[in-house]
Amino acid sequence: MNTKLKVSEISKIYPGCVANDKISLEFGSGKIYALLGENGAGKSTLVKILSGVVKPDEGKVFLNNKSIKLNSPLDAKKNNIGMVFQHFNLFDTLSVFENLSIDSDKKNQDLRVLVNDILEKYNFKIDLDIPVLNLSAGQKQKVEIIRCLIRNPKVLIMDEPTSVLTEQETDDLFISLKQFSKDGILIIYITHKLKEVLSLCDEVAVMRKGKVVSVSNTIDEKIESLANKMVGENLNTIKKKINNFKYSEEILKISNLNFKSDDPYETNLNNLNLSLKKGECLGIAGISGNGQNELFQILSGEIITEGTSIMFRNKEISKLNPRERREYLMAFSPEDRISQAAVPELKIYENVALNNFKSSNFFEKGLVNEKKIKEHSKKILSNFSVNTDNVELKSQFLSGGNLQKLIIGRELITSPELLVCFNPTWGLDVGAINYIHETLIEINEQGKSSILISTDNDELLKLSDRICVIYKGKLSKIMNADTVTAEKLGILMGGGSID
Amino acid sequence: MIKIEKRNDVSRSIYFLTPVLAIFLTLFGGGIIFYILGFNPIEALKFFFITPISDLYGLSELLVKATPLCLIAIGLSFCFKSNNWNIGAEGQLIFGGIVGGGVALLFYSHDGFYVLPIIILSGAIGGMLFAMIPAILKTYFNTNEILVSLMLVYVAKLLLDYLVVGPWSNPEGFNFPETRQFSESARMPILFDGLRIHAGIFITLITVFFSWLILYKTYLGFQIKVSGLSLKTAKYAGYKGKTMIIIVFMISGACAGLAGVGEITGPIGQLHRNISPDYGFTAIIVAFLGRLNPVGIIFASLIVALTYLGAETAQIFLQVPKYTGQVFQGMILFFLLGSDYLLFFKIKFLGLKKNEL
Repeated sequence: MNTKLKVSEISKIYPGCVANDKISLEFGSGKIYALLGENGAGKSTLVKILSGVVKPDEGKVFLNNKSIKLNSPLDAKKNNIGMVFQHFNLFDTLSVFENLSIDSDKKNQDLRVLVNDILEKYNFKIDLDIPVLNLSAGQKQKVEIIRCLIRNPKVLIMDEPTSVLTEQETDDLFISLKQFSKDGILIIYITHKLKEVLSLCDEVAVMRKGKVVSVSNTIDEKIESLANKMVGENLNTIKKKINNFKYSEEILKISNLNFKSDDPYETNLNNLNLSLKKGECLGIAGISGNGQNELFQILSGEIITEGTSIMFRNKEISKLNPRERREYLMAFSPEDRISQAAVPELKIYENVALNNFKSSNFFEKGLVNEKKIKEHSKKILSNFSVNTDNVELKSQFLSGGNLQKLIIGRELITSPELLVCFNPTWGLDVGAINYIHETLIEINEQGKSSILISTDNDELLKLSDRICVIYKGKLSKIMNADTVTAEKLGILMGGGSID
Repeated sequence: MIKIEKRNDVSRSIYFLTPVLAIFLTLFGGGIIFYILGFNPIEALKFFFITPISDLYGLSELLVKATPLCLIAIGLSFCFKSNNWNIGAEGQLIFGGIVGGGVALLFYSHDGFYVLPIIILSGAIGGMLFAMIPAILKTYFNTNEILVSLMLVYVAKLLLDYLVVGPWSNPEGFNFPETRQFSESARMPILFDGLRIHAGIFITLITVFFSWLILYKTYLGFQIKVSGLSLKTAKYAGYKGKTMIIIVFMISGACAGLAGVGEITGPIGQLHRNISPDYGFTAIIVAFLGRLNPVGIIFASLIVALTYLGAETAQIFLQVPKYTGQVFQGMILFFLLGSDYLLFFKIKFLGLKKNEL
């Protein structure tokens, strides 16, 4: 069974932005194709067109030389195009099997037989009768994949599938994907992670600013060559961090941090203790959902816990709210940059005003000092190379990378002594990641401290002076970064122990 | 097959034009209703919307009705903008009326310029305190403010009932359920002889101005805006969520209380059972029709006030019940919500597909 998928001259224009500009690509079964590009390059739009979520303004999609109409996700399903989105569409409280049977028209017994066959064939180990909320991210993704496999897909599209997976889970996924490909399923793999492209895919199409800039075999490519095509400039290799330990002053000491939540979806934290020196970066690794969210909110003051002591520059701050902590020169960059760190409907300068200090005089005598805020915002936009100088622009029109630069800039322009950031480069392109990483190194060199909570091990190893792992609400011992390897982290992240 | 999709961006001018569309659709819908009732729709709509304001007295009446509506709606906009659903403005209005009326009765034998300001102030405080009940219950006991504020309307109504029948009833009033007429110095000054329009309109206009100032030019307004758009962000920025809930309810209650005291010291001149024809509820429509925008609310209050007047004219000339006014108010809200839906979503008709037949 040979499958050929062809997109021809696809264009999609959004107000003020050409998302896809006459894209033509051909795919054939038996191979794994990478669609590589920065955020905002147009990959997502193209994928949404292929899965029927978005209709193109122009152009056609051919499946086995027949033009097909994709007006809705249902049409995509009918044409045997399966899609696994980055964010899972599962009902947490329903069982795995119930989730699978929702959009299947098969009888339950038949479906169970079919699903069991799939589980066996691809060596997936999932209990079909437990609620989805008990599954790990990797298992949830498998449920999504099974959901596609039930329909005998000819084409399987994976959108940034590894962003929530551990390394082990990623390896498993790659094995499965290769197996699917052998079984004749055409796989299109969307990513901005260059390593994955090289280790998994056969062909790679690079997109930039809505256009396909190159199609090539991955054998002929290297990380640098792909990165250059992707961002269209020669990337400087990132500075190695200089570990100078100039300072010995302790800036933050947390003792006895316990947190018990009433919400079953939150993680309880058990007896966390940590300390941080001036100019140091403490990395906190872990698979998402092991208490990072709660830890971040306790550090920022969004959650106030009883009985915890947080000493920051020799002052007890555990009872202070985020705004009050900022006065003590702390800064925070949360994981959810789109709806927490900033409000998409607000203009850039309004989002800047969210980080308000007494000394910044944004609000004098209770009145908004628009001029002051705008001046300050302009400074952030230029100092942190955000790709616009229009402070009146609504922040929803900024790309992920530019939004994150704005947020980091907003937090850093006040020269805080401590920056707490949570997955600061999540979903960003190489250029933006490098920029953020360099910025984080720079502040350490200036003697400012940082806590980096991240699910990206490369990032942690690159930036941290000391690293620990959070697992089920508990911290591992804190290790010097030179002694830590990705393997060690992997073991700790999975709940194992090392000596 | 019909499919509903979210629109990506909504232009600002259309956002403010849809209320106008809603009004036209209401006129159209009203025309159909009149036609079904056996009237010439054009004539009937003329009686409803043109006749009432075709003389000076009518215009004055329009402003008399718009004054409390605008005031309450402005207050509500503080709550609604910050995602606090205060549905009990009617109760806050009545309670403000009760407190203001009580003070007016207390000062029955006093004369002087100071009497009216004291009454007005106490009315505002009354409404404010009454609105703090749902706010405090929400912040400290996690109750639903919609239910609490709504139920308190009936508490206020029954309290007023009790007072005007019992302890506060007019000793020379032959047991009518009403208090004495307030003294002259407890009444809002009338602006023009022979018309009912009173100084309350200035209170409304001043409130509109200060609301605009607070909402768009102050830190408090900024915090309200952020909380309304994203509670997560407000928490992250460190805004004191609880304090803010109480503040917006206080502002909202004070406005409703002012409206109540404006009614009893203005056109009514005493306390009785029906000091408000549901202004507190209708103001919710006004607030949304005006897009929670102070200027928008001024226009919206005039239009909705017209439905009150139109209903009275229609009752006299067409012998239809005055509740037609509420039908029109309902239609305005219905069409506004309907056109809002179309504003934020688009409906696609895809036609039936073979395998779905």
